[in-house]
Amino acid sequence: MNGPKIMFEIPIFGGIPVTETVTNTWIIMAFIVLLSIWLTHDMKKVPSGKQVIAEKLVGMLYNMVEKNMGKGYVNFFAPYIGALFTLSALGSLSSLLGMRPLTADFSTTLGWALLSFMMIQGNNIRCNGIKGWLKGFIEPVPLLLPINIIGEIANPISMSFRHFGNIAAGMVITSLLYGALASLSAVVLQWIPNTFINSIPIFQLGLPAILSIYFDLFTSFLQAYIICMLTMVFVANAGSEEAARGE
Amino acid sequence: MENNLEIVTIDTEIGTEQLTETLTETKVEDESFLNFVTIDVWTLIFTWGNLLILFLLMKKFLFKPVRKMMLDRENEVKELYDNAERSKADAAAIKADYESRLSNAKEEAEQIVKNATRSAALKSEEIIAEAHETASGIIARADKQIEAEKRNAENELKNEVSSLAVSIASKVIEKELDEKKHKELIDSFIEKMGDA
Repeated sequence: MNGPKIMFEIPIFGGIPVTETVTNTWIIMAFIVLLSIWLTHDMKKVPSGKQVIAEKLVGMLYNMVEKNMGKGYVNFFAPYIGALFTLSALGSLSSLLGMRPLTADFSTTLGWALLSFMMIQGNNIRCNGIKGWLKGFIEPVPLLLPINIIGEIANPISMSFRHFGNIAAGMVITSLLYGALASLSAVVLQWIPNTFINSIPIFQLGLPAILSIYFDLFTSFLQAYIICMLTMVFVANAGSEEAARGE
Repeated sequence: MENNLEIVTIDTEIGTEQLTETLTETKVEDESFLNFVTIDVWTLIFTWGNLLILFLLMKKFLFKPVRKMMLDRENEVKELYDNAERSKADAAAIKADYESRLSNAKEEAEQIVKNATRSAALKSEEIIAEAHETASGIIARADKQIEAEKRNAENELKNEVSSLAVSIASKVIEKELDEKKHKELIDSFIEKMGDA
């Protein structure tokens, strides 16, 4: 199984490789932005059609962020979580169109997890001060310092590997399945004395679609939901009650 | 798998160097892949940049306009309700005002009627008194007139009677009577009679 293909190189700094992941991200971003523009185009006081959907989605997102984090975080985190969720979900779902999913690249999920990690620590420092933040590592007893540090560092690692692992495993299993079904087709069809008919992988029809409901549709949304939920909960937990209320 | 170049870029420096090397080597084939599990720093940086850009674009094109529309509508509905509430309060105030005015008007009307009745009574009394006065004046005048008439009639009667008496007496006594002397006599007699 290959990693992401290097599509081209930007000839600065000794050549910056631009991988399939990045180009696919751009395609998906363009799609999301066009979709956003289309959804918000020609909005009216009395909503109808697509505007109802747009308002429903945005309303749900804002409610979810407010419920999980508090009023004080809504202004920044609702759009951030919205962008992250959309990019993650559509990035994973892009495998349905035969594109390599962005989230099957560990660099992508690690990037998102590191952003979450920085936001968690940043919010902790913002609310408790550097002293309070450092003090948090020796609580409840100083003996737990290494465990606390490992606990903090484990967050982005587990987050990124969970997301990457689920999508990548789905991709691997799907391709293994395709290979296996092709072999099975060849074995079953070998009695027919025609090389063209022999080469038709008939079993590839149907069965992978059923599995793809789990591996593509379900996992894509689930993993997007998980990384967003964890980011929200960890960031809000790192901050104080006052920050949650927006004071 | 042969085409696939083993690059584990955990160490950035070495990773990118190797990458550039391998890229120059494999330019001819134009097919190069990263490892399946790898940390590619450039991809990581692109991921950050992309997410930031998407965040900003989505905020500008989706969240802000939709949010604005929703809040605008919320405010408008609130305003409508406020207005309705205010109109209701206004209507209640106006109603109370009217009611108080109506009761005032009733009182006023009563007052007016009472005043009118009183002034009418006064006026009628006045008129009646005046009428009485006039009537009594008329009666007095009439009395006086009657008195005068009476006196006139008496005088006339007296004259008639005296002349009648004289003529009767002259008839009785025949020519021997001096009319002038006798008339005086009779008159004095009647005078005495009248006094009696």
